[in-house]
Amino acid sequence: MWIERAALAAELPAAASLATRALAERLASLGFPVDAIEARPGTEALDVDITANRGDAMSHRGLARDLAARLRAPLATLAPPPAPEGPAKVAVHLADPGCPLYATALLTLGPGETPEPIQAFLSALGATPKKLPAVDASNELLHRYGHPTHAFDADRIRGAVTVRRAVGGEKLVTLDGVTRTLTAEDLVIADEDGPIALAGVMGGDGTKVTEATRRVLLESAWFEPRTVRASAHRHGLHTDASQRFGRGADPAMAPVARDLLVQRLQAWAGATLEGAWTAGALPAPAAPVPLTEALLARIAGEPLPLAEAAEALMALGCGVTAGASCLTVQPPTWRHDLTIPEDLAEEVLRLRGYDRLPSILPPLEGPPQPLAPDYLHRQALARRLAHLGFHQTVTYGFVSPEMDAAYPGPLGSDAYDDQAERTLANPLGQEYSILRRSLVPSLVEVAKRNLQQGQREVRLFEIAPTYRGLPEGLEDTWTVALLWAGERWDGDPESKAALVQAKHLHGVLKDVCLPGTERHVRCFADDTMLVAELPLRHFRRPDDRIIPAYTPHSRFPAVERDLSLVVDRNLPWQAMAEGVRAALKDTALVELTCADLYQGKGLEPGTKAWLLRLTFQALDRTLVGAEVDGWVAAALAAAQSLGATLRA
Amino acid sequence: MDPLLPPETAEAERAFPQALAACRDLDALLRLKGAYVGREGSHVARLMDQLKAAPKEQKRDLGAAINALKNTWEEALKARQAELEEARKAAKTLAWDRTLPPPQPARGALHPLNRLMGRLVDVFRPLGFHVEEGPEVETEEHNFDGLNIPADHPARGSADTFYLAAHPGQLLRTHTSPVQVRTLKRLAPHIHEAGGIRFLAPGRVYRKDEIDPTHSPMFHQVEGMLVGHGIGMQHLKGTLEYALRALFGPATEIRLRPSYFPFVEPGCEVDVSCPLCAAKGCRVCKGSGWVEILGAGLIHPNVLDFAGIDANEWSGWAFGMGVERMAMMLSQTPDLRLFFENDQRFLTAMGGLD
Ligand SMILES: [Zn+2]
Repeated sequence: MWIERAALAAELPAAASLATRALAERLASLGFPVDAIEARPGTEALDVDITANRGDAMSHRGLARDLAARLRAPLATLAPPPAPEGPAKVAVHLADPGCPLYATALLTLGPGETPEPIQAFLSALGATPKKLPAVDASNELLHRYGHPTHAFDADRIRGAVTVRRAVGGEKLVTLDGVTRTLTAEDLVIADEDGPIALAGVMGGDGTKVTEATRRVLLESAWFEPRTVRASAHRHGLHTDASQRFGRGADPAMAPVARDLLVQRLQAWAGATLEGAWTAGALPAPAAPVPLTEALLARIAGEPLPLAEAAEALMALGCGVTAGASCLTVQPPTWRHDLTIPEDLAEEVLRLRGYDRLPSILPPLEGPPQPLAPDYLHRQALARRLAHLGFHQTVTYGFVSPEMDAAYPGPLGSDAYDDQAERTLANPLGQEYSILRRSLVPSLVEVAKRNLQQGQREVRLFEIAPTYRGLPEGLEDTWTVALLWAGERWDGDPESKAALVQAKHLHGVLKDVCLPGTERHVRCFADDTMLVAELPLRHFRRPDDRIIPAYTPHSRFPAVERDLSLVVDRNLPWQAMAEGVRAALKDTALVELTCADLYQGKGLEPGTKAWLLRLTFQALDRTLVGAEVDGWVAAALAAAQSLGATLRA
Repeated sequence: MDPLLPPETAEAERAFPQALAACRDLDALLRLKGAYVGREGSHVARLMDQLKAAPKEQKRDLGAAINALKNTWEEALKARQAELEEARKAAKTLAWDRTLPPPQPARGALHPLNRLMGRLVDVFRPLGFHVEEGPEVETEEHNFDGLNIPADHPARGSADTFYLAAHPGQLLRTHTSPVQVRTLKRLAPHIHEAGGIRFLAPGRVYRKDEIDPTHSPMFHQVEGMLVGHGIGMQHLKGTLEYALRALFGPATEIRLRPSYFPFVEPGCEVDVSCPLCAAKGCRVCKGSGWVEILGAGLIHPNVLDFAGIDANEWSGWAFGMGVERMAMMLSQTPDLRLFFENDQRFLTAMGGLD
């Protein structure tokens, strides 16, 4: 919201002597940060941020009120000569509690136009003067005093004026020329022909003031904030008026703003007052709020004298009754945000300055809680993968339907999943419309971009939730995906780069996954990319024990035996290792490896040669040849049952 | 093979050539030598044992067969040893160009946003804070109602919040604050034994913002929350002063300014003295020496009530900060989108490993 310096000083004379920068700092310390200061012809304008709870501060007068309380300086008096009230010239019916108070006046306009300084004031705030006194005066009052008003062309109103809810389907062409279809929740001002304004939001086009207007009917009312917010939201019409009524305007200002408007029209346009009258009455005041010494001391961090608190609250316009250890506070009509004791404590501290708050660490009242194992698990895994050369990515949790269809996710394609359950109602676009079931499509995109950027090797991982659409809703699974693409090269000029192979990714999975789970991994190539994805629970966890239970190691010599076997080319090592291990269960076998792989000349087509290395070692003795011979024979028998033969 | 030799020697003899070829260094060769011709436990040693036990009439021929086998193996081993020694010598004499870079182990990186969040957790750990997390798909109850956000608040609209098509009451959380609601509710029954509640909630959140250099529909937040007896603004200030000094250096100053969030009362914005220019004034702090870093306040009594915690007995504070915003400020990264592009060069330079 733009504030013009001189107009602020007009409300608070003490502000005139403050440098603009200092003024901005004072405002910020009160909770109104200044986003920008801009030069205007002959003055400066400040762009002030007003929080959603402070509708009362959305004007020069409103900010001046807070500054005055802070500076303990008086505000300029605001007491326009009251327009003499008489009988209603036009009947006004308040048919809905959304509008309890409606002050109005009927005037005949004379010649005249908006004074230059007022036009300059409006321009400085970025508003465009219409050069129609009735319109410009209403606008000026809004910015200066914060109370929205409206002037209708009285000759274009038929019959009585009623404030009521719209009948669903009723139409209103608003001032911006748009035809609005109203709902039964919209509060409108209507004449006998129908709505002439959307209450607190925008006037109607059919009754607007133009150069031809001779008589004006004013509206200076108070509308219930929630109703105005809802209408503004429903019609996408966020106007100066709706923002102020929507956050809560000052009902006591309704007659005052009417008087100010009358005064201006008389002065600027030689208007004649035909009559002024008010329908309804002020809404009931809010309930008083207590503030105890104890609560104030707790929030402030030190005991504060209640007298000081009372003074601060009174400076803000509150009515205060002091008790022994408690204040009873009646918030002013413009402060709809003061409803609980904490609100009052905040006001006291705000005026005192947050810089005066003490600073201490809160005492620990109980034992510190350990970090959750799941969290630690993910942190440790991320660190391990990064040490293994992988780069952690962060990609969006939603993807396009095509990307989503490309990969089944960590639970595999057999798991029940319904994409419709994972679809957003209001996505940013198709591209981001499905909550993903797999991280892989996102990683593939990242990898492609990296390769296009000239990276020779891409190693990526992401740890994030994936989703499965179940009839009862979404199920999320912490998921880990890895991608490896391009050429491996360690930067040694004497070694060669080579394309990444599936075995390399398998090796990494073997390192980080629980034993056996690497077999379940879907590890497939998309062009030249190797990808693997599985639920986090398949990954090794940091041990719960600080030091694992002691396992003794042998101090007796190990015996190493080799078996050179010819096997079918498609026989998986896993099968061989399992077969041999099973046959040598309860023996002194401590290690079984494939020490050499040979494929090529001298072998039958469709076969390969493995050199099985069996290492035996006992905890309690030196092994004797005969028992080792027996075990080797058993291993050979197990290998033969898998179709292996001894290599010639 | 000599028929006098026992059959189990057969597989050893068969395996020998491949085992020998598989020896890629002298150590492996020595181990192989031990296994075949060593003094104890080797194939030859075992054959010698058998020779001792053999009938007298076989001893001579068997001895000759064993010797022949032993010689064959020894010669082959010697030949391979010579080869390997030669290769080692050649490798040694091959001049290493010391001006060239040595081979490097692979080096990956943590994502800078995760690294920053991890750092925040580290900073709060000594104060007894643990980590709480919650689902990204949330209910209106947790995301709005429990946080004192009015039913007609614009943030609830479909212009700001993503909703699920099949479940209109479910949404993508717009802040990490629903974790507060869940955690307070869960811990409320045990609050007396635990002596209050203190935790951090780092995580991803979603808002319907078009993607541009300063906006993203997904970003990260870290929230902190503490509940105890007699907690006031002084404790918020004290904790943040400690934490922000731990992050930005001991000379760091903080400044609280009044502000408003529906779930706290009083509320404040917290500025930190500009860590980039030592508060002298620069482009990042727009010459002011201060940078806005987070929003905070004392937990609104309605939030405690909603969770079933007696607001007359307990009080607390909460803060929330945007991780991207802080990362961008600290690193002067000009464009938010870089964090989601995941260029490896960016990740290595910005995230790295500690
Ligand atoms: Zn700076």
